Amino acid sequence: MQTHKFTERTRMSELVNEDASLLSTISRFGISFGFGDKTVKEACLANNIDCNTFLAVVNFLSEGNIEITEVLDTISIETVIGYLKNAHEYFLDYKLPSIRNKLIAAVDSSDQSEPYKVVFMKFFDEYFSEVKKHMEYEDKTVFPYVIKLLKGKTEGKYKIADFEDQHSDVDSKLAELKNILIKYYPAKGVNYMLNDVLFDLLSCEKDLSMHNQVEDFFFVPYIEAIEQKNKLA
Amino acid sequence: MNDTTLKIAIAEPSVIIRSGLSVVLKRVTGLHIQTFEITTIDLINNYVRLHKPDILIINPAYWGAVDVARLKQDSGVGDLKCFALTSAMTDPAIIKQYDDEITTYDTAESIREKLNKLFEPAVVEAGEENETLSQREKEILVCVVKGQTNKEIAQDLFLSTHTVITHRRNIARKLEIHSTAGLTIYAIVNKLVELDEIKKDM
Repeated sequence: MQTHKFTERTRMSELVNEDASLLSTISRFGISFGFGDKTVKEACLANNIDCNTFLAVVNFLSEGNIEITEVLDTISIETVIGYLKNAHEYFLDYKLPSIRNKLIAAVDSSDQSEPYKVVFMKFFDEYFSEVKKHMEYEDKTVFPYVIKLLKGKTEGKYKIADFEDQHSDVDSKLAELKNILIKYYPAKGVNYMLNDVLFDLLSCEKDLSMHNQVEDFFFVPYIEAIEQKNKLA
Repeated sequence: MNDTTLKIAIAEPSVIIRSGLSVVLKRVTGLHIQTFEITTIDLINNYVRLHKPDILIINPAYWGAVDVARLKQDSGVGDLKCFALTSAMTDPAIIKQYDDEITTYDTAESIREKLNKLFEPAVVEAGEENETLSQREKEILVCVVKGQTNKEIAQDLFLSTHTVITHRRNIARKLEIHSTAGLTIYAIVNKLVELDEIKKDM
């Protein structure tokens, strides 16, 4: 029996104090703040979230090392999908547009504002639309497939393995923008706005890569196991 | 091998040794390593097939004779490297199956040397090379940014298409910028082109 850092008796407030990066995870599960002294179990119950799934995800994210173990069969895949969908919404509707605005503001303050704005926005918008395409594909193709699979229906030749290996491109594009800003942006003096954008980019990069890890090492193996079981049945 | 991250999977039953090695690997300088810890032997095949690591480190003492050649063949990874992870004297005949051996007394530095030996020259050159672009590379960069194809660039500069591709690859590696949109930013902020020259592609 594997034991993990957080259990159903952990207080929600303790969880956040221990690892602040879990704040966004909690929101993506649809749990709102103002936990009081609620434990994980109580908070999940109050918000109609499967507690095992919540714990599995926060422990996975918080322990920081990717451990390949037997697939758990106590997970609610619907809860995981809900979580992943909320994360997509967060990136597409909130985080990336906010970085875009900050990037415009930072570039605007340079003395080369016009050409810079054009090229930076072109880059960012291309990146944005790639992320969007990828996430919409998951929302519209992968998740519905999985939900059908759970109901025992399989059709077509689609397999979850087809979905693998698509993440690296999305990650590397953001790293590229970060690189360009750190290494090649000719900023003069102290530019707090640029710092701000960079900081946002760095945290968004990390956030996205954790999100992808949940999909690759948590979600996908689970679906694989169901596919295997169906094949044998 | 992926040019940014080295994916290393560690198959070892002891959580202390597993995570210990994982921490040491993250300390190896000059490489970005992502580790995956595999807890039981039956999960190896499935994991390797699904996630395609660059290197697999296996403790042969716990799991007896692993058929390394077979594992590599079944993996579907073109060039999977396998290391044996040992904490005591092990039959050389077993070790011989592997590409190399990591012992529990290895340091981050000695592991780095072993990794470099396997991936020469791709890994070694990273970071030690001059990153400024040559005149020719700058010319080619400008053409790329203006939206010319490899063939057009080759014709304009009297080069073979193959040479143009090689130059482009070197540019991407030196600058760590792979997309055209990224190269465009580089060219603009370094004043290699004016916005008017590329406006039609914007």
